[in-house]
Amino acid sequence: MTATISHINLFVRDQKKAFEVYVNKLGFTVNTDITMDNGMRWLTVSPPGHPDIEVLLTEPCSPMMKDEMVRHIRAVLEADAMPGGVWNTDDCEKAYEEMKKKGFEFLKKPTKEFYGIEALFRDGCGNWFSLTQRPPKE
Amino acid sequence: MTDHEDATSRALVRALAVMDSCYSGKLDIDTLCNEAHFSRYHFIRTFRSRLKETPHQYLMRKRMDKARELLATSGMSITDICFAVGFDSLGSFSSLFRRAVGWPPSVYRARSIAQRNFPRKYIPACCWIMFGFEN
Repeated sequence: MTATISHINLFVRDQKKAFEVYVNKLGFTVNTDITMDNGMRWLTVSPPGHPDIEVLLTEPCSPMMKDEMVRHIRAVLEADAMPGGVWNTDDCEKAYEEMKKKGFEFLKKPTKEFYGIEALFRDGCGNWFSLTQRPPKE
Repeated sequence: MTDHEDATSRALVRALAVMDSCYSGKLDIDTLCNEAHFSRYHFIRTFRSRLKETPHQYLMRKRMDKARELLATSGMSITDICFAVGFDSLGSFSSLFRRAVGWPPSVYRARSIAQRNFPRKYIPACCWIMFGFEN
């Protein structure tokens, strides 16, 4: 069996801001951008070089989930505390410097760990990510 | 906020207002510096430090945003859109648009129209229901 990820959801505080961050600052490609009759915007972007993966940038809202859940998720996003995932880089220090210049906030500077060199950054949309440079394979 | 920081913020707001309202015209850095009452060097440095992008990057972003809107929603030709958002070369506009959005303007327009006309083709059925698009 072969199964690959085609769509993955990323909750954000504000889709418009997320567009700026992911497309204008991080170089993602706009994949689908449709505003539906009910006012909801279906916005997916693809990481550079991976047009087959669509990251759905979504603001938590009903009817997707109950109002109480929306409140909880929004609270996590407001605290910039949603764990987003891990980004791979071939040069953590360089990526750190470039992203700092673009205004990204870092929670951890590039630091040597047993699994590589890692920095932690916030996307400014409610999520934080690891930015990791793996050691060369032996 | 100190008086100095306050004055700097006001100066940047004035420059941003000029860029927001005149992005489709010929805007040069000297005009913006005059508006902010800053030297060229101080203006660029302060702008970048506060907004995390250069005045040029900000202006290009405004132009690209407007171009995306016009490509998706208007019947204007791509050449007319290129001029309407402040470019005087279709080649520069197209290559910058492609770099900014990921698609050439013509492809972006075709995709936008297709997505608007046939959204079910682009949105998985489970999400269609979950997002309440059915009603």
